[in-house]
Amino acid sequence: MLTFKLAFRNLFRNTRRTILTSLLISSSLIVLILVDGLMLGMTSVMVGGITHTLEGEAQVVRKGFRNNSEVEYTIDDPASVISQIQVNKSVEGFGPRVIIGGMIASSYNTTGSLIYGVDAKQELKVSRISDAVIEGEYLSGEPREILIGKPMAELLEVELGDRLIITAATVDANEITQELFRLSGIFEFGPEEMDKNLVFINLDKAQSIFGMEGNLHQIALRFIDPEDSKNPELPLFKQLTNKENEALGWLDLQPSIGTMIEMTNYSTAIVGTILFLLTSLGVINSMFMSIYERIYEFGVAKAIGTTPWQIIQLVLFEALLLALLSCAFGLTIGYLLGDYFSSNGIPMGKMEVSGVLLDGNLYTRLALYQFVNFPIYVTLLTLAAAIYPATFASRIVPTEALQRAL
Amino acid sequence: MTNLIETRGLCRTFGSEETKVTALDHVSINIEEGEFTAIIGPSGSGKTTLLHLIGGLDEPNGGSVTLSGSNIADMSGNQLSDFRRDHIGFIFQAYNLIPVLSAEENIEYIMLLQGVGAAERRKRVKEMLAMVELEGLGDRRPSHLSGGQQQRVAVARAMASNPDIILADEPTANLDSKTGISLLEVMRDLNQQRNMTFIFSTHDEKIMERATRLIYLRDGKVERDERK
Repeated sequence: MLTFKLAFRNLFRNTRRTILTSLLISSSLIVLILVDGLMLGMTSVMVGGITHTLEGEAQVVRKGFRNNSEVEYTIDDPASVISQIQVNKSVEGFGPRVIIGGMIASSYNTTGSLIYGVDAKQELKVSRISDAVIEGEYLSGEPREILIGKPMAELLEVELGDRLIITAATVDANEITQELFRLSGIFEFGPEEMDKNLVFINLDKAQSIFGMEGNLHQIALRFIDPEDSKNPELPLFKQLTNKENEALGWLDLQPSIGTMIEMTNYSTAIVGTILFLLTSLGVINSMFMSIYERIYEFGVAKAIGTTPWQIIQLVLFEALLLALLSCAFGLTIGYLLGDYFSSNGIPMGKMEVSGVLLDGNLYTRLALYQFVNFPIYVTLLTLAAAIYPATFASRIVPTEALQRAL
Repeated sequence: MTNLIETRGLCRTFGSEETKVTALDHVSINIEEGEFTAIIGPSGSGKTTLLHLIGGLDEPNGGSVTLSGSNIADMSGNQLSDFRRDHIGFIFQAYNLIPVLSAEENIEYIMLLQGVGAAERRKRVKEMLAMVELEGLGDRRPSHLSGGQQQRVAVARAMASNPDIILADEPTANLDSKTGISLLEVMRDLNQQRNMTFIFSTHDEKIMERATRLIYLRDGKVERDERK
């Protein structure tokens, strides 16, 4: 108890210095919480952008389709696959699709496109096509409906209701087929690549005109718990993966995003390391100043029988108290700021990262580990930084220190 | 009476070869239990150095110091710390109390190092404060005590561990005459009542008058050793 009192009072001998050092330590903690919160927020937006925009959290495809997009690579026994998905309780929704490259032409212009045949109703549970429609209507199932992106509409110089002709090769006979559509909606996802190239029509119509009745290229999945999609050992993936088909989560479908997330983790670690280094120097400096001011006291303490180890313990105890005070302050401010930015966001403007449009505000995401692990790191760091000054104090020679007192 | 302290051929020099200063030059003395000894001599004669060497705060260049039969040169750093804590009490000219601790806590601190239980500590702190006539001032920090009161706390602190020897380096140098005499009376009483050994380094005639033995140092050598 006396050691605690001694350490506590020593800490507040020079209140201004203690507050400044504490601010330095707590600022590191606050910045770390916010940076990590922002990284989590950004990752979440990116993953959400990928999984919820169109790709889904997982997909079932024919093996090989992901690499060459050959239209012949249709899912083996799609009816059986769908029935297995339908009974799986972890799946929130699924979207069967056919995907074919073709030409789309208006009265004025022609362009290449990637044509998605989608089930309008099922797709609502998997992707945001419906939300992306900015003019006209989302698909209703009417055979001649077609949705195109805004830049494509501008290129083709078409408006709602105008005629569009899709030209593509049929899958079954590899013959050229043409079909007339009426522009029913214009969408805008954000990423230009998507808005310039994608076209959505109804699944039945697509299967019919491309000669692939009952066949599918892709089934996009969405899970009740999004974490399921990250698990390559998920029973559903195992169940749907066989000699012909493969079921994969978004981390396997988009390995570049997985790498990017890993990089953001490294970024946080680098920021943390730099902060910790700077904080360590501040702590070392502050502790040394405190020790130099009390050098004669350490001399007296040693003279009356305090062992070097007891001196080290005292200095480390002071550092521990400093760390705890700083963490209490840092956690409070970190939580308040993190909470504020998680509701109000930080204005970032528009930017596209890995094909995902980050539009407007970036919101922090708070997690329990930020408030448990980070303070532990900060406390350990402060203690580690205090070891050198503590060792110095323990080596003070009493006779030299006592001369300073005179 | 038994020999409590024995120094044999004690030498201490400071500085490098060119600037070498001999503080002690083959000092051999015996101090017996219960003596009230004053080491006197002009400034630079080696009084404080001798006290520091006897207290194990410094290491000699030659010779030996034996305390209660133990040669302090044979002790490790921690053993020496423990020895000082349990057998030696220090009183310094500048009081050297810990400023953030109250008078009571300053006295208690050394007992905490000894591992004395809380109840026993409280009891002894009370006794010590009464002994140095500071009852009612135990909760004051050093900055709220006069020089004399601070030195009394320092005496109480030195006594708190029940040491065999008290080493006092110019304890009255910063005190006025009246306070100095009062403090000396306290220490003389302790010496007589508890047979505690006191060794002073001093210029103060009041101490010399009360000392039972005077050791004169000059240029690091014992010039005279008188018992009264």
